[in-house]
Amino acid sequence: MTMIYKESMIWTGISKLGSLKLTPVILALVGIGAAISYRNEGTTTWAMALPLFLVALNILAAVLTNKKFHRNKPLLIFHLALIAVVVLVALGRLTYLRGHVELTEGEEFSSQLAEVEKGPWHWGNLNLVSFANEGFTVQYSSGVKVKKIENSIRWRDEEGKEQQGVIGGLVPLKLHGYKFYPSANKGFAPTFIWRPKKGGSPMLGSVHLPSYPMHEYRQALAWTPPASETNLWIMLQFDEVILDPAQPSLFRAPRNYQLIVRSGEQRWQLKPGESVTLPDGVLEFEGLRNWMGYSMVYDFTLPWILAAAMLAVGSMAAYFWSKFTSRPWDK
Amino acid sequence: MTAGLELQALWAALVLYVLAGSTAIFGVVLRRKPERMVLAFLIIGLVLHTITIGLRWERVGHGPYINMYEMLLSNIWSLILIYSIAYWRLPAIRATAALVMPIIFMLMGWLLMSNPYDGNEPNTYHTIWMFIHIGFAKVFLGTVLVAVGISGIILLRQGRFSGGRFARMPDDKKLDELSFRLMAIGLIFESLMLITGAIWAQDALGRYWNWDPLETWAFLTWIFVAFSLHLRLAYKTTPRTSSYMIIVVFVLAFLTFFGVPFVTPAPHQGIG
Ligand code: HEM
Repeated sequence: MTMIYKESMIWTGISKLGSLKLTPVILALVGIGAAISYRNEGTTTWAMALPLFLVALNILAAVLTNKKFHRNKPLLIFHLALIAVVVLVALGRLTYLRGHVELTEGEEFSSQLAEVEKGPWHWGNLNLVSFANEGFTVQYSSGVKVKKIENSIRWRDEEGKEQQGVIGGLVPLKLHGYKFYPSANKGFAPTFIWRPKKGGSPMLGSVHLPSYPMHEYRQALAWTPPASETNLWIMLQFDEVILDPAQPSLFRAPRNYQLIVRSGEQRWQLKPGESVTLPDGVLEFEGLRNWMGYSMVYDFTLPWILAAAMLAVGSMAAYFWSKFTSRPWDK
Repeated sequence: MTAGLELQALWAALVLYVLAGSTAIFGVVLRRKPERMVLAFLIIGLVLHTITIGLRWERVGHGPYINMYEMLLSNIWSLILIYSIAYWRLPAIRATAALVMPIIFMLMGWLLMSNPYDGNEPNTYHTIWMFIHIGFAKVFLGTVLVAVGISGIILLRQGRFSGGRFARMPDDKKLDELSFRLMAIGLIFESLMLITGAIWAQDALGRYWNWDPLETWAFLTWIFVAFSLHLRLAYKTTPRTSSYMIIVVFVLAFLTFFGVPFVTPAPHQGIG
């Protein structure tokens, strides 16, 4: 007796939670939540998360208690697909990774180089990724607008085989669930050979000057050679116009350039192949290479969100189709 | 040469649209039904408008979707196209032309004031998803426009001006049903617009949704459509309230389409 009474209480509770009268209120909260997170630049996740949780709760309770859902399968599928989208988006937020990595021509990717931001449950393995930047071209149309990015790369595929190819634009490198997109954030990389005074093998290293052409007039940087104590300031100098706003052009290293190197009061001008002797070693300027900035993303939920969203639209269309064709609007 | 022909065809099309609208308004005021004439003006205008868009596309090398001028040029075209189809298929609501055409006139005025520079296509635009996305968006706005015309009739009928002018049209309940069927169709296309837009953003920018101004406004519009459908179902709103909701949807969609790109430069052009 009391059991049945309790059950019916719970049932009444669920059907109240699933009331269609609540739905517009909750949908209004979603709208308000979106506006709040927009005004606060997305820092207020709860303003979206809470109403969306209520949407899911409202739909689930309605699915259990509203007879309309039992009679009408497309309507049921539509609302379940809607919950699936919400859940998948949330899962994506918890497991995503996005980041940025800069690689000099000839340099190999390593997960230490990357700056990343990721969800608390990220379960990919960035350490398995192996690829190298083999050089790139960026074409500009007049007005210095990026037209096409083509980046040659070499990578080890998931079976461990060496592969070669070109990525850029809408074609990223896809490896172990990660995607790498070469970007318009790229620049020049003076490359050096450093011979420490205490002996040991010479080291090859490069410095990424600020992005070009974004920081066209700031092609300088403070830098300390590896395993050295000498603080340097280096600046790239050249006179050529690389990207001419008046016509289509191609990003490339200048043909004639020199490197200004300063340490304290001392100042040198280096051409490729020249070197300077510093207190703790010899720095040889090998020449100029380019560096490419890649944006990286990982989100396994994408195809599933797409599938759920398509299912939602498809079933919504089916629902309306049968509803409208069963009765003309003016009858 | 082509620029000349392009402009002439455009002017001719705009004049025909003005004729269609004025004829429709006079029809309502004078209680006449010059419906075939209105439809003829619309269709000939559309043909000329199509020629303009084609010539311009050929000349500048990209479709009309980059700057404000081009967006207005192509949206006036799609709105007239969808409205003409509704006008042709739904004789009962032809009087709505007197309300719908003035909305289009506004867009036409804006078109004439905006700068028709050729523009450059950002590299994120080289994808089929963009065309699909834009196509769905245009159908969405078009269906909402037709619904707004119907809502306008429902609201006007209650005022003094109407003087029984719309009395021969179906009653409010039926018009309300029709306008919400259009909202339903609109919601399907709007959802498809959001999905394809997300696919495009994912491909081009590596993120499917970023709450940029346009995305936020589009989402608010979408949620408001769902809200209206549910409010109408659960609270049995009157045709009058329903009509106001449809007008709000149109205003939101309108701001998303033309307001946001107008105030925030290039929110939709990606990393360019
Ligand atoms: C973003 C969220 C939602 C969207 C986009 C949405 C959309 C829709 C649509 C398009 C319909 C058909 C309306 C019509 O027949 O005119 C509908 C009906 C319905 N929705 Fe939702 N809905 C949402 C959320 C919910 C929630 C949270 C519930 C939970 C209670 C719910 C329950 C229902 C029910 C029971 C119907 C059938 C009403 C009827 O035709 O009598 N929906 N919904």
